[in-house]
Amino acid sequence: MNENELKLLEGLRCLAADGPREAPSAVEQRLVGELRRQSRARRRNGWLALGMSGAIAAVLAATLWIRTEPVVQKPTMARSQTPAAVKTAPSPIANVTPAPERGAEVAINFYPLPDADELPPMESATIVRVQLPMSSLRLMGLPISEDRAAEFVQADMLLGQDGLARGVRFVE
Amino acid sequence: MIQLRFSFALGVLAGAVAFAQGPPPGHFGGGDFEYMHAHMGAQKLVKGAPYSAQAVSQYTQTLADGSHIQRSTTSSVARDSEGRTRREETIGAIGALAASTASPKAIFIHDPVAGSSYVLDPASKTGHVSQPRNFTLSSDAASASEPSARTAHVRSNAQVKTEELGTQTMDGLTVQGKRITRTIAAGQIGNEHQLQVVTEVWYSQDLQTTVMSTTTDPRTGVSTYKLSNISRAEPDASLFQVPADYKLTQGGGPRSHVRQ
Repeated sequence: MNENELKLLEGLRCLAADGPREAPSAVEQRLVGELRRQSRARRRNGWLALGMSGAIAAVLAATLWIRTEPVVQKPTMARSQTPAAVKTAPSPIANVTPAPERGAEVAINFYPLPDADELPPMESATIVRVQLPMSSLRLMGLPISEDRAAEFVQADMLLGQDGLARGVRFVE
Repeated sequence: MIQLRFSFALGVLAGAVAFAQGPPPGHFGGGDFEYMHAHMGAQKLVKGAPYSAQAVSQYTQTLADGSHIQRSTTSSVARDSEGRTRREETIGAIGALAASTASPKAIFIHDPVAGSSYVLDPASKTGHVSQPRNFTLSSDAASASEPSARTAHVRSNAQVKTEELGTQTMDGLTVQGKRITRTIAAGQIGNEHQLQVVTEVWYSQDLQTTVMSTTTDPRTGVSTYKLSNISRAEPDASLFQVPADYKLTQGGGPRSHVRQ
């Protein structure tokens, strides 16, 4: 033990001999107050994190719900009458996710428009979903009552190769 | 602060009510419908008769004051020897109905060899793949999700006469014509005089497709469909393939944000 260490030991012994010491009450109150503030902050941050997690989960769930294509086609008894897939060829496409469902094909029933029979035979069909006021359907020959004319509906229009509508079905 | 929160809540509520009720009158900016998305329906399978052409659909309506409304849509169509088809078009009108804004250009590819159909949006390089959707036409209102019993089907018992019009040459193709005349007797639909709806179809047996058709309906107007610039050469195979940089999803539509 060198000289410096002996002096430090002697000083510590003198300090011990003076008896136990306490911090001033003002210091103690500030210390306790600070500890309580930090505790409250921790609890608040915990609730905030929980709330944020809940909000993120809700947004994700809503996004998934919106992006999911709802099933709107009402299958009828009529099955596919077009030729089935002849053979499987290498797909020329990229980024396809996932492969098209096979064997789940059912016919969609459309309500024939009044003059569809007089239009040229259909060789190819396009189904276009539109939103429109019921009154617009009068232009296609459908007798829409006045009390429903202002209502908006979503409808699928069955168009032929000439762009003329042969049938309609309502989504809502 | 409380006032601000109240205003926000009121705005959300008003938006929800407006969404539930649909667009207000005039929302379509003078149009009759708003395009949402499209699917490919069933296609007639024709093998060994390739072609490519421009398809022009025209609609002319004569108003009570003698003036006219005219709409025209041009599409590019093609079919290869295996029966694959491609159609590239912008849907701006459906007969007498005008779109509020022109739909985005869409490319419809049907590949019967792979058993798939593609609807592509060239602007966003996205699309969806599905099987072509078969359909039936039935006046069974319930199965067509018909929303109101009041919109009853009123197919009239009109007289229908069919005439053969012989053959013609159109765009280098021999076509056979047929005229279908439907007569609606006076008083049948509240009409003072009898009405005649006349449809002429000119069909190519070689291509097994309609080259020209015209429908004249005194109630709505004249609709004409015509193929032009017809080439019978085998179209480029790439027309029936989806470019590699397109992102495809299955089913649905490019703009299928549809609430149910």
